[in-house]
Amino acid sequence: MKTATAIEVRDLRKTYQVRDGGSWRGKTREITALDGISFTVPSGEIAGFIGPNGAGKSTAIKILSGILRPTSGIVRVGNLVPWENRIAHVARIGVVFGQRTQLWWDLSVAEGLALLRDIYSVEPERFKRNRDRLAEALDLNGIMDQSVRQLSLGQRMRAEIAAALIHDPDVVILDEPTIGLDAPSKLAVRAFVRDLRRERGTTVLLTTHDMHDIEALADRVIVIGHGRILADSPFEALQATTLSERILEADFTGPPPELFLPDGAVETERGTRSVTITFDPQRLPAPALVAHLSTFPDLGDLRIGRPAIEEIITRFYADHAS
Amino acid sequence: MTIRPYVTSFVLQWKIGLRYRLAVLAGLVAQMWFGAISLMAYAAVYHHAPDVNAPMTLRQAMTYTWIQQSFFTLLPLGCLPAIGEAAKSGAIVYDLLRPVDLWNWWLSASLARLLGNAIPRAVLLAVVAGPLAALVGLNGWSLAPPASFEAALLALISFVLGAFISASIVMWWNIIAARTLSPLGTYAVGTPLAVLMSGMLLPLPLYPDWARELLLLQPFAGISDIPIRLYMGMPIPGGVVAALGIQCFWLLALTMIGRFWMNRTVSRMEVQGA
Ligand SMILES: Nc1ncnc2c1ncn2[C@@H]1O[C@H](COP(=O)(O)OP(=O)(O)OP(=O)(O)O)[C@@H](O)[C@H]1O
Ligand SMILES: [Mg+2]
Repeated sequence: MKTATAIEVRDLRKTYQVRDGGSWRGKTREITALDGISFTVPSGEIAGFIGPNGAGKSTAIKILSGILRPTSGIVRVGNLVPWENRIAHVARIGVVFGQRTQLWWDLSVAEGLALLRDIYSVEPERFKRNRDRLAEALDLNGIMDQSVRQLSLGQRMRAEIAAALIHDPDVVILDEPTIGLDAPSKLAVRAFVRDLRRERGTTVLLTTHDMHDIEALADRVIVIGHGRILADSPFEALQATTLSERILEADFTGPPPELFLPDGAVETERGTRSVTITFDPQRLPAPALVAHLSTFPDLGDLRIGRPAIEEIITRFYADHAS
Repeated sequence: MTIRPYVTSFVLQWKIGLRYRLAVLAGLVAQMWFGAISLMAYAAVYHHAPDVNAPMTLRQAMTYTWIQQSFFTLLPLGCLPAIGEAAKSGAIVYDLLRPVDLWNWWLSASLARLLGNAIPRAVLLAVVAGPLAALVGLNGWSLAPPASFEAALLALISFVLGAFISASIVMWWNIIAARTLSPLGTYAVGTPLAVLMSGMLLPLPLYPDWARELLLLQPFAGISDIPIRLYMGMPIPGGVVAALGIQCFWLLALTMIGRFWMNRTVSRMEVQGA
């Protein structure tokens, strides 16, 4: 059953109790992993969940998937409270934890999928259709009879994704689905997720540390840090508000000369034949900077671009750390 | 709710178990060895004290021993290894992602492992210790056939109940493994406890009078001791009804309390790591 709001999270908090030194007599200490986060994901949206290590992403994902109880707060996924209606809830979602296998090591991919068919009560015909479709899209036909233990990381991840989708879930939750994958596999996974949303209107919540995943997939980015939401906006908006800065790379035919840059531009890197300049177009428009550089006789090529996404995010995390 | 996923899980676990045929054979040799040593010990004891009024004849002690040895791996020696490992790595919570009843899910896996280990050995041992031993002239040392057709039927029912009791005790070990985040404690406690209390070490009927009836009332007696007594047609205080009654009682008690305890454990379980 689809609802207009696929995921609703309100004032979600989670504190872990940890015992120091691991011994059962040690003093307990509290770690606040989630400090009151709220967001909603409309049906059919792909939301990216990003943040530095230890921000609380996986904690939130675990609560949303019904395997962890929060300390307090409200969560509804398609009108169900995950930890209260666990069985009904998990029957309707698909989850991939990039760091874990949910397939069975001792079974082949085909046996694992058949077991999932019975677990999720997928009718035989629908199962066959889904299996063939997924095997095709995720290129599994060559590894169906191999046991999961023998699969390479990339092959396993593709099998995991198929396993998470065999029952046509309305909501798909992916925790670092591209971790450790090579470039072609990452592209394949991204294309697959995009098609999934386009063809089936599936709602997707994904976490990743690869900003290209976010750029390629997410309609919307939720940035989380220290258990709080730092930003929640479309990716372009995040990019625009975080950094209006531009990067200019200038090549020289010989060693770069002293540049005497005007206000609004700083040299950020100097190579043997090139200089990287970061500038703020509000204060120093690109043509003015280019005009300034043109006065140097041994200037070669010029390239202007945005800072790398990784850089934007690093700055963003740093700005909000205080 | 359907029974289908649990049956499939059982079948798959069973198949995985059968892949380790070498382990089955190695176990069989060990069991034959222990069986033979026990038999020789009994033979010595019985021959030196022929006039003592023993609760079991030598022949019964031998049959009892053979069946106990066949069903050694049916005993709840500790948690299910896969669950123990998952408890240690933290992966155990990921079973909550499945829309299944966790008790039945783990129970079917536990039962499959016990039976998958025990049945191939039991069949081989029955052949070796039964007809084969008789053929080579070791008639007095062999496994005796069931006392009667009725005894065989009762024993079969009782064995099935026993397997479920054992799997339920394994479930308790699974819960303990989940709580202590390690399978080790369950093996350390479970193995000696099961070997002693099931009658594997010393047949329960051979204990002193005062202990004998009490021992019959504890859950481990229901795994193999009661089925074996029914197989051999040995008298049981309270008769067949009491024998099966004790088994049903323990199966229910272990299941009901275990389920309650498991739900409490699971709701407090926290995912470890990534
Ligand atoms: N089982 C646990 N017990 C105690 N503390 C935990 C537990 N799981 C997570 N934490 C703590 O909660 C905080 C959030 O962890 P979480 O795994 O949610 O981060 P994350 O955003 O997924 O990080 P990463 O990008 O590294 O995967 C961290 O400080 C972590 O140490
Ligand atoms: Mg994480």
